[in-house]
Amino acid sequence: MLSSLFNPDSVAVIGASRKKGKVGNAVLSNLVKDFRGNIYPVNPGEEMIEGLTCYASILDVADEVDLAVVVVPAKVVPPTLEECGKAGVKYVVVISAGFKEAGIEGAKLERRSLEICKEYRIHMVGPNCLGIMDPVAGLNASFAASMAYEGNIAMMSQSGAICTSTLDWAEANGMGFSKFVSLGNKADLGENEFLAEFRDDPSTSVIAAYLEGIKNGSQFIEIARDVSRKKPVVLVKSGRTAAGSRAVSSHTGTLAGSDQAYNAAFDKAGVIRADTLEDMLDYIRAFSTQPIPSGRRIAILTNAGGLGILTADACYYEGLELASLSGETIEGLREFLPDAASFYNPVDVLGDASAKLYGDALEIVLKDPNVDGVILLTSPQAMTDVTSIARIVIQKMENSDKPVLCSFVGGTRVMEGNSILVAGGVPNYTFPERAVASMGALCDYGERRSLTYPLPKPVHSDRKMASALLDEAAAKDKKILGLESFDLLKAYGIPVVETGKASTVEEAVEESERIGYPVVMKVLSPDISHKTDVGGIRLSLMNKDDVRRAYHTMMSDVGRYMPSARITGVQLQRMIEGGREVIIGMNRDVQFGPLLMFGLGGTYVEVLKDVSFRLAPLNEKDAHSMISSIRSYPLLTGVRGEKAYDVDAVADVLVRVSRLVEDFPQVLEFEINPLMVLPEDEGCFAMDMRLTLKESN
Amino acid sequence: MASILVSSSENYSGKSSICSGFGLILKERGKSVGYMKPVGNLLVDVDGVLSDEDAEQMRNLLSLETPRSCITPIMLTENLINDALLGVEKHLEETLKQAYSEVSRSKDMVLIEGEGGIGSGAMYNLSDPQVASILDSKILLITRFDSVSAVDRILCDIELIDDRNMLSGIILNEVEEDKLGMVRDMVVPFLEKKGVKVFGVIPRDHTLGAVSIAEIVEDLRGDVLTGAQEMGKLVEHYLVGAMEVNSAIKYFRRTPNSVVVTGGDRADIQMAAIEAGARALILTGNLRPSEAVLGSADEAGVVVVLVKGDTLSTIERMENLIGHARIQQKTKIETIVRLIEENVDVDSILDSAGL
Repeated sequence: MLSSLFNPDSVAVIGASRKKGKVGNAVLSNLVKDFRGNIYPVNPGEEMIEGLTCYASILDVADEVDLAVVVVPAKVVPPTLEECGKAGVKYVVVISAGFKEAGIEGAKLERRSLEICKEYRIHMVGPNCLGIMDPVAGLNASFAASMAYEGNIAMMSQSGAICTSTLDWAEANGMGFSKFVSLGNKADLGENEFLAEFRDDPSTSVIAAYLEGIKNGSQFIEIARDVSRKKPVVLVKSGRTAAGSRAVSSHTGTLAGSDQAYNAAFDKAGVIRADTLEDMLDYIRAFSTQPIPSGRRIAILTNAGGLGILTADACYYEGLELASLSGETIEGLREFLPDAASFYNPVDVLGDASAKLYGDALEIVLKDPNVDGVILLTSPQAMTDVTSIARIVIQKMENSDKPVLCSFVGGTRVMEGNSILVAGGVPNYTFPERAVASMGALCDYGERRSLTYPLPKPVHSDRKMASALLDEAAAKDKKILGLESFDLLKAYGIPVVETGKASTVEEAVEESERIGYPVVMKVLSPDISHKTDVGGIRLSLMNKDDVRRAYHTMMSDVGRYMPSARITGVQLQRMIEGGREVIIGMNRDVQFGPLLMFGLGGTYVEVLKDVSFRLAPLNEKDAHSMISSIRSYPLLTGVRGEKAYDVDAVADVLVRVSRLVEDFPQVLEFEINPLMVLPEDEGCFAMDMRLTLKESN
Repeated sequence: MASILVSSSENYSGKSSICSGFGLILKERGKSVGYMKPVGNLLVDVDGVLSDEDAEQMRNLLSLETPRSCITPIMLTENLINDALLGVEKHLEETLKQAYSEVSRSKDMVLIEGEGGIGSGAMYNLSDPQVASILDSKILLITRFDSVSAVDRILCDIELIDDRNMLSGIILNEVEEDKLGMVRDMVVPFLEKKGVKVFGVIPRDHTLGAVSIAEIVEDLRGDVLTGAQEMGKLVEHYLVGAMEVNSAIKYFRRTPNSVVVTGGDRADIQMAAIEAGARALILTGNLRPSEAVLGSADEAGVVVVLVKGDTLSTIERMENLIGHARIQQKTKIETIVRLIEENVDVDSILDSAGL
């Protein structure tokens, strides 16, 4: 789709300059160095730059120009784009700054530029970016210091400075790129378009990205999921914390977004999230050169016991299993390793191990069917021939379909060994923990790329009734619905506790008699969200007198604590005993849509924050995994002789809630709190609910 | 000729708006309407002459030629209060009567507006019942029905009037939707049984409390950084942004078209407000926001106002502004006219006034 962007036949540099140090000169020089096609500098003030004829305007270039790199001041960009449009240019990279990031005038210029691009159907990268590179095609349309090495990593970054740092780091670490994109302000082309492009690019094996925000959340999930099936996507998304999101908003004039929603989105898309820049760079080193493991069973090969222990610890924290070596492997190792060596995982070949010993050990371990990947550690002891070890590792790995990550721990004495490994395409990490983290990423991807996302089974619902109920509320300008709207849950097949409504004390008694004691009384008011705090709940009412007393004291309490609250009556409920309370919530995320939440009721959610999140749509598997992923899950399956609760019933409710909030986009927030879960096979009941509607206008 | 003194049980009962609406309705019916506010308390300088805000509005609305000094013959100044406390005789009764004869000349109906609550002015013998007695007018009492305790207030006010015949009747104003049923079914019959005529029950209309962004800017003495073209828009609510950004998004989007007050350095709250559909951002602490945020605000047509004060004092000012705004905009006046026509028995009021 974007092939002429990365592999054009001809490129124009509008705003080219003869003066060294100017961006317009850097861009031109970069192109001149490596680009094999036609280059057209455009600058009305010059006749010739870098030995090339300079044109006054893009319209003066007789040839068809595929790509224009624009370096003129922001104010001049819109008319320049207009000329590009008239000249038939289909791709532009606008490097110029001074757009939305610079304020109101800039925002106007950006809008105008985008309008022109749409008018002439021009695809635009930026504005306010470093440029783009395609080392395979020999295109360096940027003002970076130099062209990147050729490789199989495609990278895009929303920060120009991180582009620069990454390129410099890659040079020092022998890493190459298939494509390199500085996204800038993402006015037109953004992460979604480039993800699709990189998916289809045969030169790209792994995709890396640094993002501060995502423009179209649902489209991102769809595309990223599709890409992840073919190639790993390793992504750093910043602005996760309060301070960070403030910085993002200040830097870009956009919302950083909810980190919980992003986590849920990345999980859903099969994307590998790197917590730090360091992680991202370490992970892509592994992805770029190593095969994906089929499992999480790792063998550690080391010449230092201490390093082996540290690595074993790190594996546990990373969620990696230490492989149990097969009998054959252990016997094989015994044959040539000294008696004092360790034959079990971690395999310790001892400090005086020769390169040959290392090589033979690695060969045997790689062949073990119980081993999915290997971490090889070396400490430069007096007799350690680091360079020979490096060479033999490369040799033994040649035909392996299992990943090997090295950590030669040291400084001066491992430098040469490090260079050899890098040149040989084997990732080497300064410390074992980095190797372990990267192996973890490889394993995670191994599991994710084979995930399927079946659609949820259809939910039988009375959509008409639900719609009528919500429309009625909107007509009355009601924004918050509570207990009185239980019919909405019933419409979607969500079981609710038996209830009755009363607006006077005698009605309350009537309803209590009808439902049957013991009953619970709850105040009905759109203004009260925490009923217990204001004395709005009375439990264990056993007879008429209890009900009357409860009614009067409740009205008095609520009136005292929240005098301005509008009270529409009380709800009587059958009191249910012997169950566990859980909470199901939904918040409609600005970027990604309905984000569902699950946790055990009360302090578990509020104080311990032991909750799980998933983005809708939820299928049965998602629902079960939401429930089982909270730390307190064992409390639901039964501990210490306590019985198990009806988890299946809860999963069913989750799927139904997901359907409900998807069907009605006007629902901004929704909560069933508590959902009372009874022992296995006895089901569950919604005891209370709260729903926030979007203002209808 | 006919006259009625519009009095109120409390401050901000909607008395002035009802006067405006009532005056227009009468005018539309072809009556010539006069207006008088005996004691002016919202002092404003009009071309070197001291006048009252309400009086100015009514003068314009009804196109009155009557001189200002007659419409508001007495100004509530420190002098007036001090003299009252010191017992200085100022013959205010005569002043009133003279002004009234000018105001009522060749008019079918005169609307007399009280100042503050029904008892205001008792200090200088010009409480509403006293004025009504001097000008031989009946009293129409406006009560803001915020809760059922308003019933107590009404019964108390009636005691103040003393002469039962002086009270023409009452209008219950700004009744919240969820109380309308109770008011119509229980409160009105209760009052009527006590011999109080209820001329109407007016439901609460939130749009009447709205202020324009321009009014806010003026009151806060703020600098408009962007969105100047949207300053005429009205806002009904103000929201304070001091929480974590994801909570802010939820909070703001429940009440779009509001004005959000937050610190100038809270780029995240500012973006949340813009995304959630706020109409204006008031940034406190004289901290200029980031350029990128201004760019986004401009794109979204959000008015960004920079004020020097801190958040707390800004909020206090907003509290006074919104909800207590005087009705000046055309749309608001149209709304109040409609509310009166739909909910008030205007004919009965005119009847009891002697028209």
